[in-house]
Amino acid sequence: MKQRAPFFQILLVGLFIAYMILPVIATYIFSVATKWDITLMPEGYTLEWYQTAFDHPYFSITLTNSFIVSIAAVLVGLLFIVPTTYWVHTRVPCAKTLLDLLMILPFGIPSVVLALALIRVYSFPPVGRSPFLLISACVIFSMPFMYRPISNSLMAIDVHTLTESALSLGANTLQILIRVIAPNILPGILSGSLLVFATVFAEFTLANLITGASFKTFPILLVEFTRRDGRIAAALSVISFTVAWIVSLAILWVGGRGRKPTEEALGAR
Amino acid sequence: MAYLELQNVSKLFGTVAAVKDFNLAVEKGAFISLLGPSGCGKTTTLRMIAGFEMPDAGTITLDGADITGVPPNKRGTGMVFQAYALFPNMSVRDNVAFGLEVTGHPKKEIDERVREMLSLIRLKDTAKRFPHQLSGGQQQRIALARALAIRPRVLLLDEPLSALDAVVRVALRGEIRRIQLELGITTVYVTHDQEEALSISDRVVVMNQGLIEQAGSPEEIYRQPKTRFVAAFIGTANQLNGVLVDRAQVRFGETILRAPVPLALNELSKIVVLVRPESIAVHATAPTDAQNILEGTIQTITFLGPITRVGVDVDGTRVVADLAVSNRAAFTHTQHVWLSFPADACQVMEST
Repeated sequence: MKQRAPFFQILLVGLFIAYMILPVIATYIFSVATKWDITLMPEGYTLEWYQTAFDHPYFSITLTNSFIVSIAAVLVGLLFIVPTTYWVHTRVPCAKTLLDLLMILPFGIPSVVLALALIRVYSFPPVGRSPFLLISACVIFSMPFMYRPISNSLMAIDVHTLTESALSLGANTLQILIRVIAPNILPGILSGSLLVFATVFAEFTLANLITGASFKTFPILLVEFTRRDGRIAAALSVISFTVAWIVSLAILWVGGRGRKPTEEALGAR
Repeated sequence: MAYLELQNVSKLFGTVAAVKDFNLAVEKGAFISLLGPSGCGKTTTLRMIAGFEMPDAGTITLDGADITGVPPNKRGTGMVFQAYALFPNMSVRDNVAFGLEVTGHPKKEIDERVREMLSLIRLKDTAKRFPHQLSGGQQQRIALARALAIRPRVLLLDEPLSALDAVVRVALRGEIRRIQLELGITTVYVTHDQEEALSISDRVVVMNQGLIEQAGSPEEIYRQPKTRFVAAFIGTANQLNGVLVDRAQVRFGETILRAPVPLALNELSKIVVLVRPESIAVHATAPTDAQNILEGTIQTITFLGPITRVGVDVDGTRVVADLAVSNRAAFTHTQHVWLSFPADACQVMEST
């Protein structure tokens, strides 16, 4: 069957990508522009906005804080969700629908509601208004992003046969999870980690309400600047995008090294 | 007490009994096959021996100890699955070494054992390859090596050859038997392929709907089936329905057949005479000296490679007979022929 050159499709996709990427490109350009009010392209280029941003006393602190919260959310999420999903898939398959439902719930809870509810319930020290509470809130709020890819990956492999072979060879559940299951659901783990990192890194509402000024994250700094100076805010946005891209590439690169045999095996089935 | 014993084992799935009151004794070093159609309970039984299913009743003992409640990773049983259960993320070497690594054996011992196992299955050069780079037959041999590496007390195989093509299947079943004999390992093999079971087992257990129909050596099962099911399932058998005449004669339609009648059958019971096609000779003219003679018309002539099978209509009953190579061209469709067979080729059973 001859495939017609899908000119119309290419055009459509191209337009869509352009539409999506234009704001990002504009932000990039704005962050290095001296003045860009009335002309089609900037009047001049400068790096002074980045300089001002780096010089800000809270820059490195907020960046570090955001990293801490994002990485912690990924790790805690993995720790909770991978074993649970595996357990449900292998030992309690009837609970799978319930788990699917549970993992969609966070979508129905607005961040403001989640933040206020958590603050109410966990108002006692040392938990109250602490980074720990923020991390927990981020884990809950990002659960669907971690769960779906992992659950899909588990369904793509023959979990039962792999588990039973490993059991018959004398392995215990932890060994099976670490040596057999995790490496084979790496695509899911990576996707999940990426999504969680990206969403938590950019999360403003939860951070603002739960810890506020006592533990500022990068989005909080960014929002502050949007009210003061748009150009510096643009620079901070660019930094934010860049961080997300670098981390994504890093995760994909690390994962890519061990992924090939599994992928080929799955493809061959 | 035998090395592996199942006593009064039953398993229910909901209200359906997959296995009913199963009793089996396996001697050390023996190769026994559980043979039967899909759904007969053979895989369920194997999984209970492995520990993946819990019996609802009965006990399983291995080497004198009750293993009924022991989890599968502590039983000392090695299993080979039908679907290639090799770990895709690990090389062949790591796959075979897995069982020893998770139980904390020293590296030197593991390396030595892996070399030994790969030699045994004659795939020494594959150590660094990954499962997806191997053929189906090779993967199953690696799976076998992996199961044997841990020195299991019993080797369990769940239809390991079903997913392979015919030529590989025949070669590999011979390999499995060779390795089993070399290691002297007690083996339970599940299959629905009777040729497989008959060719490599010491004993065959024919199962149907959760019950054992018959257990015995391959020859016993083939030549002296105890029930109609076994006779029909193993090989091909013509079933001639009739009534008893006396201790040595049976009436089939208008003909009297000579056949040995077991003492257990009384005069009035409806019986069935079983004769295998290889015992029946086909003649173009009426034979003069035969114990049993039937007449009919040829309906089908089927070329099966080594034999040609002829289907003859004898008064409404279809009887199949195998032709010797030399005889093949002598017959045509709708030809009127005579079939002859000796009395001792017949087996008389109660017709249920």
